[in-house]
Amino acid sequence: MTRVDRLVLVLGLLGVALLAAVILAVFVGSARLSPLAVIQALTGGAGAGSTESVVVLSLRLPRIAAAALAGGALAVAGVGFQALTRNPLAEPAVLGVSSGAAFGVVIAQLVGSGGAVVDTLKTTAFGFGGALVAGAAVYLIASVHGGFPVQTLLLSGVIVGIFFASAVTVVTSLVDINRLGGIVHWLLGNIAPLPGPSLLIFTGLAALGFTLIVSQARELNVLALGEEAALQLGVNAERLKLQVFVAAALLTSSVVAFSGPIGFVGLIVPHILRMLLGPDNRLLVPTAMVGGGIFLLLADTAARNVVAPAELSVGVITSFFGAPFFVYLLRTRRGVL
Amino acid sequence: MPGVIRSLGRGSLLGAVVVLLAVTPIAALTLVDMLGREVTLPASPRRIVSLVPSATELIFALGGEDRLVGRTDYCDYPPAAKSKPSVGGMITPSLETLVALRPDLVLVTTSGNREETFTKLKQIGIPVYAIHAHRVAEMLDVTARLGELTGRQAAVATLVAEVERRLRAVAEAVRPYPRPRVLYVLWPDPLLVPARDAIVTELIGLAGGESITAGERGDYPRFSIEAAVARAPEVILLARHGTGTGPMARDRWDRLTSLPAVKARRIHPVDGNFMHRYGPRVVDGVERLARVIHPEAFR
Amino acid sequence: MSEVVRVEEVGFSYPVAEPRRGRPFALGGLSFTVAEGEILGVLGPNSAGKTTLIRLLTKILAPTRGTIEVDGSSIQDLSRAELARRIAVVPQDVPQGLPFTVEHLVLMGRYPHAPRRFFETAEDLAIARAAMAATGVLDLADTPVRTLSGGERQRVVLARALAQRPRLLILDEPTAHLDLRYQVECVALLRRVNREQGTTVLLVSHDLNLAGELCDRLLLLTDGRIARLGRPEDVLEEALLASVYGCAVAVEKSPATGRPVVQVSWPTGDGRAASPRV
Repeated sequence: MTRVDRLVLVLGLLGVALLAAVILAVFVGSARLSPLAVIQALTGGAGAGSTESVVVLSLRLPRIAAAALAGGALAVAGVGFQALTRNPLAEPAVLGVSSGAAFGVVIAQLVGSGGAVVDTLKTTAFGFGGALVAGAAVYLIASVHGGFPVQTLLLSGVIVGIFFASAVTVVTSLVDINRLGGIVHWLLGNIAPLPGPSLLIFTGLAALGFTLIVSQARELNVLALGEEAALQLGVNAERLKLQVFVAAALLTSSVVAFSGPIGFVGLIVPHILRMLLGPDNRLLVPTAMVGGGIFLLLADTAARNVVAPAELSVGVITSFFGAPFFVYLLRTRRGVL
Repeated sequence: MPGVIRSLGRGSLLGAVVVLLAVTPIAALTLVDMLGREVTLPASPRRIVSLVPSATELIFALGGEDRLVGRTDYCDYPPAAKSKPSVGGMITPSLETLVALRPDLVLVTTSGNREETFTKLKQIGIPVYAIHAHRVAEMLDVTARLGELTGRQAAVATLVAEVERRLRAVAEAVRPYPRPRVLYVLWPDPLLVPARDAIVTELIGLAGGESITAGERGDYPRFSIEAAVARAPEVILLARHGTGTGPMARDRWDRLTSLPAVKARRIHPVDGNFMHRYGPRVVDGVERLARVIHPEAFR
Repeated sequence: MSEVVRVEEVGFSYPVAEPRRGRPFALGGLSFTVAEGEILGVLGPNSAGKTTLIRLLTKILAPTRGTIEVDGSSIQDLSRAELARRIAVVPQDVPQGLPFTVEHLVLMGRYPHAPRRFFETAEDLAIARAAMAATGVLDLADTPVRTLSGGERQRVVLARALAQRPRLLILDEPTAHLDLRYQVECVALLRRVNREQGTTVLLVSHDLNLAGELCDRLLLLTDGRIARLGRPEDVLEEALLASVYGCAVAVEKSPATGRPVVQVSWPTGDGRAASPRV
């Protein structure tokens, strides 16, 4: 079958899987609603102020949407970043921007809530600010006259990431003991049910990042031949690298700003997809958007149900499966870029 | 000449023995702290460093502050406490500064100080006394122990009597009213709530409310918003931390329109400093909680 | 006959930040043309400027002075894709561990012809398959490149360049990894492509005899300038080669083809060079 057919088929299958995951997630939760109650809430049969309505419409659905978006964004950023650096072990977190975003958000939580309305948006804005500073630092450190060498980018990202991670540690060590718990828990990564406006902004940013990367998917394939060969085949390598870097940074920062730092999704999902579908980025990028969503949605559903009514951070679940997966990758050396 | 030296030598030896005898403790004090460990002191402690804000408050309330030579940055009450030198944070106090204060006893707690700090102090040879309190009764126990340590046993009875009197007054005032379900929010995102081992759980009970998370395990675990919604709290209390911060954001709670607390607009900020410490202001905490939970009882 | 490439007074030097030897490397004012349909060989010792020349021709580097024209247009005015439609480069090798199949790699050669397209067309596929057939790798179409031998990889890379349907094919040491049989096949292939499709070829090689046999003209570079440009018998001259390469050689005429054959005077190990067979 042609490539187009294959892409359509896989996307169709993944779409069905996503739908199944959404349905599962909407029916389970610590409020222990009966399936009938859930259906009533979904169809508008329950009253507007009833528990079912609030739980299903204001809590579960927004959280499901946030999880799917965050997972997709991280997976796409992972694919792009791995193709950009020609390194299958690259993860969006290595970019350095997620530590910068984490630092921004921790500062925001420390400075305390200002006016009631801007609270969530302020946290997000601070997160982006931190990501921007980190991203700019990475870029400035890595760029040399006329170029943007990939090895330097990786090193620069690691350095900037370490710097901001240390800054976060400094802040948490100085903070009031009463706030400490909240900040420490946030750093583990959590999916919160986002209110409507936040969800819209998140969707917009994710769509933008996705478009920036998917439009260069064919070029990313060519880039695997090496920069010089790609240039000689007509690919504008410098512009490509910058565009993918910015897009991956944008996607990663959005997720950190709205949901906290969640690791391993950007590493695991691209690899699984690569094992199933092959190395063509034109297939990987779109399927990552859906596959990543399914992955994180399932992880988050587990996180909020296995020790109900307490909750685990979703970052705990992804690390739990991520670390052994990483070891497996290194040992078998499969899933090469 | 040799004779002079020999007598000088004997004299010095005698002098040394006298000096040694003078500094050797004759009466040693053996105490048992709240972790059940034995703490041996040469004498009643005169130079106490407190790494626990609740303990600092209690020492001042008992009038024993002349024996207090050091505190943490978080020991900010009463204002007079700030005149004592600080050794830094609770998690990372400066051991150098602490040692320079030449303490003969350091007060630590299991919730807030680090294991490493205990160990280091013991290695250096500084006696460490551990306290903790998850209940008001334990707080009274801490008061008694601190009274003994600072030689202010007499003040303990007065303080305890005052605490019990005020608690009884609150209990009387709220007795006629039904006890609403209360959700106490230590931190909104992720949602952290007080559970079995947090003192504020008992405080809410004393103030005439029922914390919906009272049965959960631990002290301040994470909790799912969904479960909180399912338990339909009638009052929501949002803890404020530190000083000078505005009220916590309410928008995320206002969206949960099924909650009785939202319908009745009973979402209130409370000052965390009164709720999370186990010093003398615990009573103030109960009184404030009672006023918020049962305003009708205090008109 | 028109020119495919015109190089005029081109100079280049690397930025001072990377001094390579005693004095910084520089290309002096190079001037030459590549005629349509010819096979031009570029020879010279290491660091004579051969690789730099390829990079200048493919716009990886920009000359510090002089102009380069491709098909009558200045190279500065051509976009990368436009340039790639005219010039294809066969590098020495591909990066290790490429997971793509042979067919996928060869299809990448079609990129410059329609950069905006997301997927390749059926026509692209046909051209790619023809190129694979020409280099004898068609039956490896679905094999991952990283599992191939050096010789097979070289032929795949050549197929990719052929799929580009360029006016000028630049080959950088094409026979470096090939054993004798494949060297012979490579020569046959290049000749076929040159004659049947009229593709101009620029060949950079260390192998003086291969170049002498295959090429219409030779460009001998030394220290960043042209030592000689002309027909093989004029360039492969004992005195000239000795002065450029710094070792004694003997040049004979091949009885079969009449082309020059270069023989190196290998040292005997006791300090004297063996006297070449006269």
